[in-house]
Amino acid sequence: MIAFKYSKCDGAEYLSHLDLLRHIYRTFRRAGIRVAMSEGFHAHARIFLNNPLPVGVKSVAEYGSADCDFAGDFKAAFNEFSPEGVKCLAYEITATNPNFANSVEKCLYFTSGIQPFDTDLILNEKSIVITDLRNRQIDIRPRIHSLEFKDGGLLFTAGCSSENLRPDMFCDYLAERFGGKRTEIIKLASYGKGVF
Amino acid sequence: MKVNLNDLAELLRSVEKPARYIGGEFGGKVTENSPFYFCACFPDLYEVGMSNLGIKIVAESFKKKGYAADYCYTPYKDFGEGLKKLNVPLYSLSLKKPLGEFDMLGFSMQYELSYTNMLYMLDLAGIPLLRKDRTGKKYPLVVIGGPCAVNPEPLADFVDIVFIGDGERSDADVAELYLECGGATEEFFARASEMDGVYVPALTKVNYNPDGTVAGFEGVTRVKKALITDLENAVFPRTQCVPNCESVFDRSVIEVMRGCYRGCRFCQAGFIYRPVRKRSVQTLTEQACALISSTGYSEISLNSLSTGDYPHLRELIRSLKSALPEGVTLALPSLRVDSFDKEFAQDARKISLTFAPEAGTQRLRDVINKDVTEEEILRAANSAFDGGYSAVKLYFMLGLPTETDEDLRGIRHICDIIKRAYGAKSRQKPLRISVSVSTFIPKPFTPFQWEAQASEQEVVRKQKLLREELFIKGVSLSTSDYFTSLLEAVLARGDRRLGAAILCAYKKGCILDGWLNDFNKDGWREAFAECGIDPAFYTREFGENEILPWSFIDTGVTQKYLLSERKRAYSAKVTGSCAKKCNGCGLQKNCDAAQNQGVQSI
Repeated sequence: MIAFKYSKCDGAEYLSHLDLLRHIYRTFRRAGIRVAMSEGFHAHARIFLNNPLPVGVKSVAEYGSADCDFAGDFKAAFNEFSPEGVKCLAYEITATNPNFANSVEKCLYFTSGIQPFDTDLILNEKSIVITDLRNRQIDIRPRIHSLEFKDGGLLFTAGCSSENLRPDMFCDYLAERFGGKRTEIIKLASYGKGVF
Repeated sequence: MKVNLNDLAELLRSVEKPARYIGGEFGGKVTENSPFYFCACFPDLYEVGMSNLGIKIVAESFKKKGYAADYCYTPYKDFGEGLKKLNVPLYSLSLKKPLGEFDMLGFSMQYELSYTNMLYMLDLAGIPLLRKDRTGKKYPLVVIGGPCAVNPEPLADFVDIVFIGDGERSDADVAELYLECGGATEEFFARASEMDGVYVPALTKVNYNPDGTVAGFEGVTRVKKALITDLENAVFPRTQCVPNCESVFDRSVIEVMRGCYRGCRFCQAGFIYRPVRKRSVQTLTEQACALISSTGYSEISLNSLSTGDYPHLRELIRSLKSALPEGVTLALPSLRVDSFDKEFAQDARKISLTFAPEAGTQRLRDVINKDVTEEEILRAANSAFDGGYSAVKLYFMLGLPTETDEDLRGIRHICDIIKRAYGAKSRQKPLRISVSVSTFIPKPFTPFQWEAQASEQEVVRKQKLLREELFIKGVSLSTSDYFTSLLEAVLARGDRRLGAAILCAYKKGCILDGWLNDFNKDGWREAFAECGIDPAFYTREFGENEILPWSFIDTGVTQKYLLSERKRAYSAKVTGSCAKKCNGCGLQKNCDAAQNQGVQSI
């Protein structure tokens, strides 16, 4: 199994998750790296990515894994054949599937354009209920792990996997409450078991 | 100037499928510092344009000469309006270069309903739509090609050059001439108009009779189509860019043959792409392997107008299967029922198979020269069912010349025999038959180019009859919208005066007409009325002695042959495949099949 960390930026942030999966599979094929196929009725390549990133959010900390044996320089092989903006940053050979969709617990994001505010106003709250895209009322407070203004923007850590907080939705909430307008959002780091 | 995607970030986040507009596709990189910049423009959405092989072949012919060839597609309204608001011009995908900064914009006109999309793209690029408004300042050459270019007259006022015939034969040569002449000078247009396949509308004047028909042409009065005689060695892109988002046909494509032996009398492609030219098994295998390795696709499509007629198909399939990596599937999208074979279909996903009998009775199939019998349809269906298929799509046409209600009832009969054939297989899964009935549109350069299009009343009545006939379990029917077919017929057989209506319709917001949700019928109706154009003038029966708006174009097939085919249609006489016997269409000199039969050139 190969576990790899990759970027999604330079335009690639506008690729949907399914399109990205197709691109990564084709990158493996172009690079001549054979990936094992599932054994179901509709066989698919055993490539697993971490949770989908909202379209438009950049990242330099995406993770994926692929069921394959590859002895060469995976990073070089991948990057030669990947589309613009989807580039391997690091990789590891693993004995089992790290399953990043479950193991990544939280992610660090940076955004700019939101009017500076006292972050304690958020961090001291016990509950912050917002309406999500499916019109459900959800309490996002437990999913906010850190929040600080730094380097001319807002740096925040939000939950992922089962405790996922969409960074774009959170930024829109902050912009609506405190003013300003978010510009770009970039994921800088992911935290969890197996992440390197 | 280069458009910066960061300036469009907010817009991109707000539109549907932003991946259409970002470029950066793998295999799509265009090198800068070129003496000539060509942009292949496709007047439809990204997903449609990305599936088109023609523009990739043409772009490759420019690259071969060392010129830059980029791509651009019609943006959907959300992005187009966003660009307007931001005052950012429409740009090419790889270089992010505004279209106005290219030397040539080549629009591939595949179907009539995309005409206004071309105007939309020019408008978004800040380029004046009418040719006469583009004088005195450097603008790109606006050129068109593709099947609709065989009657370019409705678009004549908008374009500088029309490429007729095989694009890879002459398009890039015109670029070379452009550089030699130092731009779009009078000398350039005069010399370009002498080349095969190049029509310069400004150099041809059309005169009209008082009754509205064409009286004649002045200036350049003959334009011969460009013809690639050696397809084997013709330009073909061995690497193709892989779309950012799923396209309509998301797979690699090789072109097995160009042209068709059959000569179905309604089919424009069957006549304008004559004669049949083929690639060898070895070349096709090499191209397929190169494409699969450079794109990463796991499916390859063997394209042509009738792949079943490729004489070495079995050998080709065997060669591809042994040379391609394991797991790559073959798609054969254009198989006639009489050439269908289990062996050909076994690689495809066994869901649904499409046949196109086109007409319900043998008599009408003979009229249209669809040389297919009921037994062959049944044999193909049986073969498909044995191969594991449980769904069949059937394509028919309505409003064909000499058609009666009996012919339409014949469609029900075909469904019945297919159902019986499936019933005999004792399969658990129920059979699904999807019948698609489109309205016949008379097209230039076919034996039916003179025919009238059925009236709305007639079409509506016949569609109702079909709905009643086909109200049976397991069969679904889809029919085409009448006004869409009418508009296609008007634009297909239109003359230069229609340009005013196209412009007017565009100004009324008629864009993306091929997408039913966006089709603005009222806009078109108002445009015709305001421009004093009666659509019925273009859907009437044309006189055989009438000068047709496209009469000055020479596709190689003679008028005499088309007329003789029309007469044979009315006597329900089949003209067989020209692979077996040359019928003397006029292209014998360039036709391998005719030469092999020892036919003398005329």
